[in-house]
Amino acid sequence: MPESDSSEMICIPGQRLCLADKEHIPGCGTYERHGYIYSSLAGIVNVTKNDKKRTIEVHCCNDQSIVPVPGDIVTAKVTIVNQRFLKCVIKCIRDTVLSRPYRAILRKEDVRATEKDKVEMYKSFRPGDIILARVLPMTDAHCYQISTAENELGVAIAHSEAGIPMIPISWTEMQCPKTYVKELRKVAKIIPENSLSDNTKSVRG
Amino acid sequence: MPVDSRRIQGPDSSVPFMLYSSREKKDYKTVKSEVFKKGLRKDGRKWDQHRKVYLKTSVVTQAKGSAFIEQNNTKVICSVFDPREIPRKSDYSVNGELYCEFKYAPFSCLTRRGHQQDAEEKEFSLILRRALEPAVCRHEFPNFQVDIYALVLQDDGSALSAAITCASLALADASVPMYDLVASVTLGVHDDLKFLDPTAEETILCNTSPRTLQNHGTIVFSYSASQQQISEYAQTGAMNLDCITSAIDILTRACDDIYPLSQQCLVKSVAKSVKKKKKREEKLNRERAILADENEPPTNE
Amino acid sequence: MDAQYKVIDPVKFYRDHLAHKIRPDGRGLLKFRPAVINVDSIGTADGSAIVKIGNTTVVCGVKLELGVPKPEESNIGWLVPNVTLPPLCSPRFHPGPPSDEAQVASNMLAEILSNASVLDLRALCVVPERLAWAVYLDAVCLNHDGSILDACVVAAVAALRTVRLPRVEHDADKDITKVFPDERSSLPITGAPIPTTHAIFEDEVILVDPTSDEESLASGLVTITVQNDQMCSVYKPGGSPLADENMQACLSRARTRAIQMNNLIEAALAARDKEETKDQKLIS
Repeated sequence: MPESDSSEMICIPGQRLCLADKEHIPGCGTYERHGYIYSSLAGIVNVTKNDKKRTIEVHCCNDQSIVPVPGDIVTAKVTIVNQRFLKCVIKCIRDTVLSRPYRAILRKEDVRATEKDKVEMYKSFRPGDIILARVLPMTDAHCYQISTAENELGVAIAHSEAGIPMIPISWTEMQCPKTYVKELRKVAKIIPENSLSDNTKSVRG
Repeated sequence: MPVDSRRIQGPDSSVPFMLYSSREKKDYKTVKSEVFKKGLRKDGRKWDQHRKVYLKTSVVTQAKGSAFIEQNNTKVICSVFDPREIPRKSDYSVNGELYCEFKYAPFSCLTRRGHQQDAEEKEFSLILRRALEPAVCRHEFPNFQVDIYALVLQDDGSALSAAITCASLALADASVPMYDLVASVTLGVHDDLKFLDPTAEETILCNTSPRTLQNHGTIVFSYSASQQQISEYAQTGAMNLDCITSAIDILTRACDDIYPLSQQCLVKSVAKSVKKKKKREEKLNRERAILADENEPPTNE
Repeated sequence: MDAQYKVIDPVKFYRDHLAHKIRPDGRGLLKFRPAVINVDSIGTADGSAIVKIGNTTVVCGVKLELGVPKPEESNIGWLVPNVTLPPLCSPRFHPGPPSDEAQVASNMLAEILSNASVLDLRALCVVPERLAWAVYLDAVCLNHDGSILDACVVAAVAALRTVRLPRVEHDADKDITKVFPDERSSLPITGAPIPTTHAIFEDEVILVDPTSDEESLASGLVTITVQNDQMCSVYKPGGSPLADENMQACLSRARTRAIQMNNLIEAALAARDKEETKDQKLIS
């Protein structure tokens, strides 16, 4: 039974962790069967206490095999842009790097929260841009739909035509530090304290 | 035969040289008496003794998870990749799928294997899939498939069992959510003889049978020990009920012995990666401190 | 954090590393990865070798069969080299027919082996027009982390060195063939070509022995094969141009590499021979 959080307890799939009762709740990386909580991953047991309740979780040491779930923030690279939508590949889900990217679509109406009818795809994204987006509930079985209709979402990294990373100057414009050419983008407002935005911040160097 | 333009072709027809061997061919009786002599098998094992199993995880760095198994001369390598979209599929499936491919390397058997999957390999791929499916939490990746590839480098019997044990370990190594690990063992039956974890020679004996024999064949048995569930039972040949009941009993015990080996191997690999992760983090922090000092004037110019 | 950086902007990731004259795996720009060679580890093959260069792993196995020689060249046998890049070795490959990369690698391997005349094919012929050995050489990649051709050729050469050909008798009148599996002799291997792959990054930086990531980002690749201190083939499939002095430098590196690799092969064979004599002593 994992009692203290400091000592690391290794567990493997199929290992019985503890009794599943009102006090112990199965979290990520576990499953419940016949009144017990079992581990479904090989990793470290993690117990989070929350007023009397304990959530039992198992954390992997390497990146877990996951798929995007509605609500997740993802990092994606734009591949194709047309008037109605853009296609992109999801490279990271939150902090987890995917070794196999997933395809996703961002429709014109999901680019901005306001003035949706005035959005022009070509003035918001270009192929090659790195964007932050939120996964929308699945409507189509084949493809993920994502949205950038939040201030914190949108283009995080973009290169100018000279191939140089651009610097955001407003929420619709970015500028190349070498040629001083301004380009239009749906810029993400990156907040440093957020762990996720922190990543992109440091990437930008 | 259709010409494979994507590979370099040899002669139209060629035969293994052992067909023309000058060695005398042994008849069935001498083979049988040689394989099991004075209560011991050719390699000195008792009939119910499993070969020593060597397991190792994370052997293929390019894969999400991988494992290697060695049972004396039977060597199998397995790798598992991240879930990917199921190609050519139109409807939504609640459970994810496992795509399994079992392949013999061309040089892994006594006679050369073709590059394309043959009927036997396709059947084994299916058995591999059925053995693993009950152990994987497939609802965690709906509409996706996880690819599992098993390659036999050298086959000295029980390659399929080795592949199942190995693939289950590779899945766990890839952090694919699983209900349990799967261990698999093969049993060869020939008349009154039984061979646990048969070698290639013993498998051949079990699969050839004079007509008078009632019990002969092989059983590939996969078992999740902590859930006490049989995930797959694949039998070739014919056996009577008594024989099957006793075989299942023997195989369950054998799987119970193999299962802890998988567990230990996995625990070791987790412990190792925890250590590695800590070291890497320390190193990264040091490096970042150095880089931060050097990078003070931005390098964008 | 590093992993995210690499996935999001791999080019900048490498640029930053290479500016400090160090590669993400900690190597210098012109440093090779450690190589390990093991021979005769696959019992079911008639000859085999495993080569590891860093993470890249290639197993090469030889199977001997008997067939009929080509009608147009009736006095030579067959050497059938193939490179298999199974989906197991990298997420880039999918099940199905061989990928383009595998086909290119197979052809390169065949070309290098025939250009360097590694094996005298006439020695494989038993009876002209009637019977000849077919040497099936399969290089299977288990872990694809770049410089695959280097590993394949070294594995092929090492595996061929371990093959022992049985004696064959053929009675042409009665059309009876007899093979003596207990009387074997080595194949007449005359050469040991060693390729060395270089990657050109952004038209100027040269990286030796690139990993898979480096290969995919490189603006050009060049593979120089050296045999007996002589250049035997150069393969440079397009990409950015390479200045003459850089080419010379690559060649001289390839020469030193060839010597090291040859020594490794010899050492692996010697280690196996030692083991064999030990085994024989134990038996007798």
